[in-house]
Amino acid sequence: MREHKQHKLSFNPYLEKLYKSDKPLIIYKMKNGYNIYTDFSKKIILNKNNINNFLKFRKIKKKNKELDLFIGFFSYEILCHLLNIKIKNQKKINFYKGIFYKPETVIKIRDKIKIVSSKKEHKFNETFHKTQILTPFKKNLEFNAYKKIFDTFSKKIRQGETYQIKICTKYKNKSKINPINFFWRLMKVNSSPESFMIKDKDYSIVSCSPETLIDKKGKKIITKPIAGTLKKNKKYNKNTALKFFKSNIKETKEHNMIVDMERNDLSRICSPGSVQILKEKFVEEYKHLFHYVTTIQGNIRKNISLKDIIISMMPGGSVIGCPKIRTLELLNNQENDGRNIFTGSFGYIKFNKDMRFNIIIRSILNYKNYSEVSAASGVVLDSAPKKEFNENYIKAKSLLELYK
Amino acid sequence: MIYIIDHQDSFTWNVVHQFSEFEEVFCSNFFEIKESKLLKADTIVLSPGPGAPKDYPLTSKIYKKFRGKKKIIGICLGFQQILHNEYGKIVQQKNIYHGYQSKIKVTKDSKIFKKNKVFQVGRYHSLKLNEPFVSKNIKISMRCVETNIPMAIENIKEKIFGFQFHPESFLTKNGKTIIKKILSA
Repeated sequence: MREHKQHKLSFNPYLEKLYKSDKPLIIYKMKNGYNIYTDFSKKIILNKNNINNFLKFRKIKKKNKELDLFIGFFSYEILCHLLNIKIKNQKKINFYKGIFYKPETVIKIRDKIKIVSSKKEHKFNETFHKTQILTPFKKNLEFNAYKKIFDTFSKKIRQGETYQIKICTKYKNKSKINPINFFWRLMKVNSSPESFMIKDKDYSIVSCSPETLIDKKGKKIITKPIAGTLKKNKKYNKNTALKFFKSNIKETKEHNMIVDMERNDLSRICSPGSVQILKEKFVEEYKHLFHYVTTIQGNIRKNISLKDIIISMMPGGSVIGCPKIRTLELLNNQENDGRNIFTGSFGYIKFNKDMRFNIIIRSILNYKNYSEVSAASGVVLDSAPKKEFNENYIKAKSLLELYK
Repeated sequence: MIYIIDHQDSFTWNVVHQFSEFEEVFCSNFFEIKESKLLKADTIVLSPGPGAPKDYPLTSKIYKKFRGKKKIIGICLGFQQILHNEYGKIVQQKNIYHGYQSKIKVTKDSKIFKKNKVFQVGRYHSLKLNEPFVSKNIKISMRCVETNIPMAIENIKEKIFGFQFHPESFLTKNGKTIIKKILSA
């Protein structure tokens, strides 16, 4: 299991002050630790009018390798907009469609703590965030309603309209949270490779996303789709979980589909012949579950823009279904609640155009004193509605537990 | 040049990459056809995609226009599209194959592949060709070993070819060889 490495930071005065301050900050899981970004000199709130301009990413003067980046998120809605896919009228909380920040300070938590900053002076205004749970969690879909959607989609699969589609369940309560406290508690039990936290003045996001959508360095781009989930119990370890996935026809088919789909999305932006499966069908272990994963790589063609990459890869196929466009249309016709950040992407774009993005799943969004936790699971032809419905709960569980 | 007509599938670009190993490829959405490029192409490929052949009247029109004049290759939905325009009936099947790897066998009617040769292929289809299917020139050249469902067609005379399976899938072994043979046929 990916154990949370206990860092030797019983007390770091700078971090203590930062955590207690009202400064917006972002924490992102790195391979061997965490990066904390703060002192944002720019905050770009994305909308339909400025997103194209943001993605043009004209050459910006480079100053400091560690700080030359924009970090933030794209909501599901703005990604659909980039693909020209309409969303019907939904219940909306009018949350941001995307925000990117330019940090001036990064704190790198590894075995030791290293602070890189363009600022000379560091001031902190102390505030106090206490977690308050005001109402219990409520699901937006009970099993009967879920099953109705499930049956509609099963029919669409029979008709060849879609091959696989994901239904989303949302848990909502009225609450105020201390996101920093939530995040570190979550990391103790479930420090997934794409975990992150955003704390800003009027909202926060806490996520233990396991899924890397884009890892781009130079012309090399990697994606790591997850398709296949197994609830943990005494019967399974990593090896027996792999055996389970390999011998289970339903899981194998679902996974195959996603692998071909991600090969396709990479092929759209990569040189012919360069797209390859690096590591096929392996198991990753988490607190409550096992995941079935494949790593795929390609070399990006010359003249491919940032926008081309985003449009081709997002929203991440494994959390939508297949084929992507038709399936997105079906989903958007069916869902009554806006997805907000769920199945959007969080990550950074460096000034040299290297980038890293995850898929925002297993996440809490706290906004206007409401928390929402979303989870989704797939309908393919052999899935059982009860099992998929419960799978959504397993996926949300480690987040819901934080409120206890 | 090969013109690939994309029916907005999430596998089309795998097809594009596979074909670009042999020839220059141009790809566009089925509703954004570049007339001049299409006229210049020697081969037209009808991509996989969601739904049924009747949902794409524009593609049917192109098929009828260029049938017998250019080489036409259909994959999955494209395969069904060809048959639909050749008076075949496309129907829902009882068992659905999505992300399925199966064995298929070359029939005696193939002029390109060796009789009884077995391929391992990837499949993504809800619909199939209803049989009996009678056609003067189109022959069923491959079938599923297990279910006998038609998996490929050949019309050597008018250079029309189709695959119900996905030669570009990572589940298909020797997909590249299959495409190479069709392109040089």
